[in-house]
Formats: sequence, structure tokens, C-alpha cells
Amino acid sequence: MASSSFLYTKRRIKNIVALTLSVIATLIGLIFLAWILWETLRQGVGTLKPQLFTKITAYGEQGGLANAMVGSLIVNLIGILIATPIGVLAGTWLAEYANGTKLGESIRFLNDILLSAPSIVLGLFVYTIVVLPTTSLTSGSTTFSGWAGGVALALIALPVIVRTSDEMLRLVPSTLREASLSLGIPQWKLTTQILIRAARSGIITGVLLALARISGETAPLLFTAFGNNYMTFNPSDKMSSLPQMIYQYANDPGEGLHAIAWAGAFVLTMFVLLLSLASRLVLSRSKVSHD
Amino acid sequence: MTESAAAGIHPQSAATPAPIAPTKLKVRDLHFYYNGFHALKGINMDIPEKKVTAIIGPSGCGKSTLLRIFNRIYAIYPKLEAKGEIVLDGENILDSSYSMNRLRSKVGMVFQKPVPFPMTIFENVAYGIRHHEKLSRADMEIRVEQALRSAALWDEVKDKLKQSALGLSGGQQQRLCIARGIALKPEVLLLDEPTSALDPIATGRIEQLVEELKSEYTIVIVTHNMQQAARCSDLTAFMYLGELIEFDRTEQIFTKPGKKQTEDYITGRFG
Repeated sequence: MASSSFLYTKRRIKNIVALTLSVIATLIGLIFLAWILWETLRQGVGTLKPQLFTKITAYGEQGGLANAMVGSLIVNLIGILIATPIGVLAGTWLAEYANGTKLGESIRFLNDILLSAPSIVLGLFVYTIVVLPTTSLTSGSTTFSGWAGGVALALIALPVIVRTSDEMLRLVPSTLREASLSLGIPQWKLTTQILIRAARSGIITGVLLALARISGETAPLLFTAFGNNYMTFNPSDKMSSLPQMIYQYANDPGEGLHAIAWAGAFVLTMFVLLLSLASRLVLSRSKVSHD
Repeated sequence: MTESAAAGIHPQSAATPAPIAPTKLKVRDLHFYYNGFHALKGINMDIPEKKVTAIIGPSGCGKSTLLRIFNRIYAIYPKLEAKGEIVLDGENILDSSYSMNRLRSKVGMVFQKPVPFPMTIFENVAYGIRHHEKLSRADMEIRVEQALRSAALWDEVKDKLKQSALGLSGGQQQRLCIARGIALKPEVLLLDEPTSALDPIATGRIEQLVEELKSEYTIVIVTHNMQQAARCSDLTAFMYLGELIEFDRTEQIFTKPGKKQTEDYITGRFG
């Protein structure tokens, strides 16, 4: 009796210690997130006015970030539109057709390497295979463009989408495959009409997370979209982007530009946060319907 | 033993209880290998038409494996191999030229856990039919209703055919899977422990359904629940370590089993 109450006390103490440590660890993570949001808001609040969204960067301290936001949206959209179909198809192939084969395993491994490739390398790669060759087409004038930026971002989003599609499809219980094949339904119908549908919310989450990832990228755009102080909706032009403007303004000695950079950072952080929340929402909805 | 011999049973092969109906599936010298492991060792049995045949035995005895050969669903995994003969309507289904598509429209299967497709209740049933036949909208509606009625599910779902099948209870989902299977009008229906994930009430409904369905379909049910085999089957096969030990009329197996191993198993001495 005495020894069991001793054991119980000992476990209670261990439990309290473990709980306290994990709460502290969580708080440390959350504090930095809150701090980043607070700091960007505090420093940028002075310039967080309508003109941030309506005026272009050409006006400098009197301007806003409208062209950078439009540029970011267009370049990200191009990136995600290129990466999504290729990524989902490749992930489907890995999960459904090449699972367990040597080729499949090797490609999955290579995809993981691409996933952790430094983004500046991908930017330089696209500079070499897209920007430089097209320069020769336009008799020597530089061909930095939104398209090239989009391709660079697509290369970053692609492995994320491949990975999540692959994993989400492999999470679909094999009984669902057996049940469909037992009805004499062929593999291609099973894949396109049942498995992708069952894994849909996970795949959408993967795409949203990839979008969140690329919307914060600066390095791959330096050599591809290049930047532009004027408003353009044409992806064949050089294009500005939010992360790149933040980088430039933060490097500038002008105090006013710093404030705009902070405001831009706040907008960008909120955008990524909202995307993450949206992806959580998609996932949690699917959980309700699966059980 | 003497009674069984009189009823025409060959004790060595354990293949042929007294014929109670024409044979639908004739299994001859069937061997199965998992990655080289010899899982089924020379199975011979004649499964009669429009009767319920139960397969019982301890875990790992090969009963599900045997069932999964009848519609060759095992073939979707690599490194599995079946040797021997399974004759369905005069043709060997293990022949590589036998079309899977045709086999699976003739031999339906329901699994241990209910696996509704992520679609509406109506679509779950219509999906399989649509692949095999072109039906007008009205004909399809009739067909789906028939299937749901045969599976004793129609009254519960008729007002929510457009809702997701994932919202149904486990027992309803399992009956939906049966409806989906019989909607293709198969000749043989394989049930792989269809009630092991269900509560007693849902189990009772499925067993009642099996009783009703046997007038139209040849049913093979794998179960680890001996009472279930006793309650709803006409014939029972007892398997142990990959071999068919005994195959006879259910009342015979449960009252006067011919083999010591069968008796030990059904009286709970091992398993």
C-alpha cells in the first residue's frame, strides 16, 4: 500500500515535469510567432494605409506596394498552376503504379532531395534554362519575366505537391482499392474516380501549403522575375514581388522605406497564416466526413 | 465417420460432402504461396450452387486466403502465386486468359470492414453497374432500388440517396457494400468476415440477409465466429494450417465431426 502510493506520487511528479516542459516548449514557439506578428505590425502600422495597396513602388516613400502584391499574386499563380497538375500526376504515379518498385523508390528519394534544394540554386537554374536562352531570341535584350519567376517557383512547389499527393494516396486504405477492383472496375477508373477523390482534401492541403511556401520566396525571383517599380499585369514583363521588395527596402537607408517593408512583411505573414488556416480547415472537414 | 462415409465423403480429400446441389465452384489441388511461403496445401472442395458455405478455422489457417483466390483479388499484390484449378461454370478461373473483369462481375466480394466509396449512397451502388452496363437513368434508378431492397437497406436510405455514404452507420455501410456487390448480379458472393466489425444487432441483420440471399446466389462466408457458421450455413469447411481438414454439412460438423482436430476446434480446445 505504502509502496504503491509512493509509485503514484513519483509518477505524478514525472507527469507534472513532462507537462511543464512541453508547455514551455510550445510557449517558446508561440512567443516567437506572436512576436514576429507584433513586431511587423508595430513597425509597419504607420504605413498600413490604403495607399499601401493602391500605390506602386515607383513613388518610393510616398508610394505603396500595389505592383509588388499584384506581381506576387501573378507569379505565385503561374508557379502553382504549373506545379499542381505535374505534382499530382507524379504523386499518383508514385503511390499507385510505382509503389514498392526500385524506380519508384529512387524517384521518391530524388524528389526529397529537390524538396530540400536551396531556392537560390533553383533560381539560377531557371535563369540558365529560361532567361538566358530567351535572351538570344529577343536579339540580346534581357528577358527577365513573370513567366520565368513562375517557373522557378513551380520548381519549389513541385516536390511539396508530389510528396503530399503521394503520401495522401498511400494513406487511402488498401481495402478501398480491393473493394473497387472486386467490382471489376479497372485501375485507371479506380485511381481517377475513387482514390483521388478519397485523398482530395489532403492533396488540396498540399497545394495550399506549397502556395504558402512559395509566396515567401525571394531568392528564386532575383534572377528570374527580377523586379519592376511599375504596375504590370503582363507576365512577359519583369515583375515585382512582395518578398523581393521587402528585401530591397530593408537594405535601403531610407527610414520611410523601412516602414513600408515592415507593412509588406505584415501583409505577407498574414497571407501565409491565412493559407495555413485554410489548409487546416480543408483537412479537418475531411476528417469529419471520413469517420 | 461411418455416417460420413455412407454419405459419400472421401476422408482423404475432404472435398465432397453428399451433393446437396450442383457444384458451382470446383476447387482442385489448389496451392498458394505468399512470397515463397506455402499458405494453402492442396485444397479440394466442391462448393454447391445457391447454398451458404462457411469456412472456419483459427487465425492464419488460410481461410481468407482461399476466399481471396475465388475472385483473384490477391493478384493485385506482387509475389503471390496460386497453383491448381478453380472451375467456375466449366472454366478454370486461374487460367491467365480468364478475364478479371468478367470474373469479378460474376464473383462479388464483401470485406471485413465496410468500405463505402467517397460518394453518395446512390452512386455507391450505381458506380459498379455503370462500368459493366449502359442503362438509362430510369433503369438505373430501378436497379439501384432493387439492390438496396435486396440488401434490406432501402427503407433506411430511400430519403437520403443523395447524401454521402460515409455518413451511414457501420452496419448500414456493410449492407450498402452488399447492395453494391449484388447490384452487378453476380453468381457467387464472397463474404470475408462481414460482421466482425459490427455490433450484435447489425450482425443479426446481415445474417438474416445471408439467409434471404441464398435463394439467388452461391454464398461463401469466412468467419471466425463458429455460432455464425452454425446459424447461417448449409455446409461448413474447417481449415487448419493451410489444409482443408473437414468439409461437410453444417449440422454434421457441429454435432458429429469426423476428425479429431475439427472436434477440438469447435469444442474450444484450441484455436
